[in-house]
This record gives sequence, C-alpha cells and structure tokens, in this order.
Amino acid sequence: MATDEELVGHVAVGDEDALRELLHRYERPLAHFIHRCTSGRDVEDLYQDTWLRVVRHAPRFDRTRRFSTWLFQIAVNLCRDWQRRRPPDPAEPVELPMTADPVTHIERRIDTARLLDVLPLPQREALILRYYHDLSEDEAAAVLGCPKGTVKSRVHNGLARLATLVRQRP
Amino acid sequence: MERDGHAAPAGTGHLRLLAHAADCEECRRAPLPMREIATLMDEAVPDVDVGALSQHAFACARPLLHRRRAGWSWQLAAGLLLALLPLPVVVAYDAYVLHLAYEFLCGWVPAAVAAYLVLSYAATLVLLFASTYAAIPLLVNRQPVLE
Repeated sequence: MATDEELVGHVAVGDEDALRELLHRYERPLAHFIHRCTSGRDVEDLYQDTWLRVVRHAPRFDRTRRFSTWLFQIAVNLCRDWQRRRPPDPAEPVELPMTADPVTHIERRIDTARLLDVLPLPQREALILRYYHDLSEDEAAAVLGCPKGTVKSRVHNGLARLATLVRQRP
Repeated sequence: MERDGHAAPAGTGHLRLLAHAADCEECRRAPLPMREIATLMDEAVPDVDVGALSQHAFACARPLLHRRRAGWSWQLAAGLLLALLPLPVVVAYDAYVLHLAYEFLCGWVPAAVAAYLVLSYAATLVLLFASTYAAIPLLVNRQPVLE
C-alpha cells in the first residue's frame, strides 16, 4: 500500500486515484477538524479549499515531511484566514439553561456542538489537535507553527476556560 | 476520535488530558475537572456528511488534475524528443569509432577475435543507450517532486 507521501507524488502528476485515496484516508479527521475550528460554519468551502491547495502545491511537497502535518497546516491557515474575515458571532453557549426535558436536551446538544466557540482560535486549535486528533505536543506544535511550550499553555488556558463552563452547569 | 485518519481508541482524549494535567505545573497547582471536561468534549460530535464533502472537493480538484496530467504528458514527450534528437549523430559516431577499433585490432589479433571484441563493446553500448532512454520517463515522473 502506497504511503501518503507517495500518493502526493502521484497527485503532483495528475493521478485522480491517488487523490481519491488521500481523500478517503483524511476526509473524516479533516472535516471534523475544520468543523470544530469554525463551529460548523463554511466547512464545505474550507474543506474544498484545503484539498485544492493540496493539489496545487503537491509538486512542491517535500516528501521527507509527513503529509498529515502538511495537510493540517493548510487547514489551520485557512481556518485562521476565515476567522479574520468572518463577522463576530453573537451566540453565547454558556447562557443556555440546562434542564432534563427533551427540548432543552436538544438545546444542550446544540450547545455542546458549539462548545469550542467560547475559546479563542489558538486555544481551540491546540485543544482540538491534542484532544480529538490525539497528536503529541511536538506534532501539534509542528502543525500550528509554534513552540511546544506555547501548545501546552494554549491547551491549559483552553481547558481552564472549559472548566468554568463545566462548573457553571447544573 | 481520530488520528491521521484512523480511529483512536475511546478515552484517548481523556488520557491525554490526564497526561497534560500530570505534566502541567498550573494544572497541578489548581486541578481542573478533567473527567467532566472530557465528557463535555465527547458530547461535541460534528454533524457533517464527509462523503458528500469529499465528492464535492474531488469534483472541484478534477480540472486541476487534468491540466497537471496533460502538462506531465507534454513534459514526457518533450523530454523524449530532446533525448532522441542527437541519437542519429551519436549512433553514426559510435559506428565510426567501432569501425576504427575493428581495423586497429585486426592488425594485432585475428579478425574473428577483433570482431568478437568490437561486437561485445557494441552490445554494451546498445544496453547503455536502452537503459538511458528507459530512465527518461522515470526522471520526468520524479521531476515534480524534485522541484
């Protein structure tokens, strides 16, 4: 079975099957990453742009690097650009009342789906990569383009913020 | 949870939080409710149709791939043409050198031995040419990566 890095080499010369295989391997983690970074907004556009960049820059991809790191770096950059462009969102998930009845249970689901919205993007990115994608601090630092210590402090600050949400819940 | 496209075992995120708490000085000083945070984060499951997203992304990338493939075919054809252009001159020159070598050797060894030596050398040259031309498509294929 071809490695991700070999497949990028094939994509560089226009191999459709190689792109299909890469899409198949990374569709779930990448889509979920973008969804969590943007709280589900503009996921389709950002997902599509990420893959277009992969195809466009595949000839310049350094095969000694890991493809997954490169892919998520592209996604992180696109999410940051998106964050700079978008208007501020008025939603405040912490304000929603939590009770046991079914209607508020749905509200609670919506609330948790937008849970990470309360975090600034740098904290959100670090926490998503560490928690959901199970990356080590070194790997997350490579994706985010920052030192390992910064990843650690961002994760801590993000967790501290989520802890205040947990304590506010009934 | 996922890691590089593969499902990670359930609870890995929680373990990561515990590992962070053990390693983080601030967390040790003021412990955070990691289990509750993990429960909250596990509830946040993205509702997204990844298959449809991939189909759409592939459809958008297809024209770009076609252009890339067409460009590569032209590159291959141009590479082969450039490599083949000097071939007649090279073959004629080699034939002339082999003829000279044969005549020179005939003065020293019997004609049959001279013919054997010259033909052996000619066979080596043919093999060398064949390997060189067979390598052209491979080199063109690797070129995007080397760029």
